[in-house]
Amino acid sequence: MFQPLDPLLHAELRLAVMSLLISADEAEFPYIKEQTGATAGNLSVQIDKLSAAGYIEVEKTFKGKRPCTICRITDKGRQAFEAYVEALKSYLQIKNK
Amino acid sequence: MNLTAERSLEIITEQIERSRRAVSKDTGQSLFVSGLCTMGMAVIVAIVNIIAGNNGFMPIGHLLWIILPLIIWLIMRRLNKDHAHAPVDIVSSLVGKTWWTFAVFTLGFFFLGNIWNFIMSRLCTPSEYVMNNIHISTYVILLMAMAVSIMGHILKKKWLVWFGIIGGLLIAIGDRADIIAWFLGRLCTFKTVGMWFYIKSCPTIFLFALVGLTLPGWILKREK
Repeated sequence: MFQPLDPLLHAELRLAVMSLLISADEAEFPYIKEQTGATAGNLSVQIDKLSAAGYIEVEKTFKGKRPCTICRITDKGRQAFEAYVEALKSYLQIKNK
Repeated sequence: MNLTAERSLEIITEQIERSRRAVSKDTGQSLFVSGLCTMGMAVIVAIVNIIAGNNGFMPIGHLLWIILPLIIWLIMRRLNKDHAHAPVDIVSSLVGKTWWTFAVFTLGFFFLGNIWNFIMSRLCTPSEYVMNNIHISTYVILLMAMAVSIMGHILKKKWLVWFGIIGGLLIAIGDRADIIAWFLGRLCTFKTVGMWFYIKSCPTIFLFALVGLTLPGWILKREK
């Protein structure tokens, strides 16, 4: 049977952000923006949603005199991503049968 | 919610691959800059040592190695100022830690070894000093060869592993036995042999920096 897909992760930009963060300890906002090709406004909104769900942690700090936003995946986010990939597998297996 | 399972999988794969490439490029940049700085410093140290030696001073140019980490850090900071810094992954973290360990051991050993040699030069007769002094360059070459070899394992580049092992052992033994000085003694004047002793670790460090840092850095930077 199909496993339900987490609606929070089942969106292009949020999935891209989580995929980027899964292989790194942390990433800066400009790096995520550069890699996903998203606009700063849209990315901020999606990061806020992931943060509100407890999937990522957002730390606002300073790099010299410049403000710097660092995003980190949480254990809850890691588990949710793993569950999402497992669910995805069930969809792909059924399609391939 | 019109995202298909295939498209989701594509996004995940694409982003992980992009991230891997960005991290690899960033590591390559650090290695490349560190290599170029080390090669440049080897040339400067050799020039300073020749000038100091010709004017009756000790090879004081070697003191310049202490500021090398600072120069590399400043250049990297300048380069990373205007673009987004890639996150640290396991490969870049291991490469960074390998060279950090090398730098700490080398600078520490260089500092303590020179203090030991200075004390021994004051306490011992010249014949005793020959037996008691520490050949700092030999140990630095071995440490550098180990770092190059470990980095070869991390980056899965066999040629780098073997360069570290073979090059390191041969050059360290050659350095300790003063093989080049022996050849120079037979072919050149006494002054040339003396000059070689002022610069003898510089060509080795130059070569290791070229093959162990600059070249792998350049390869990583260009990897698609």
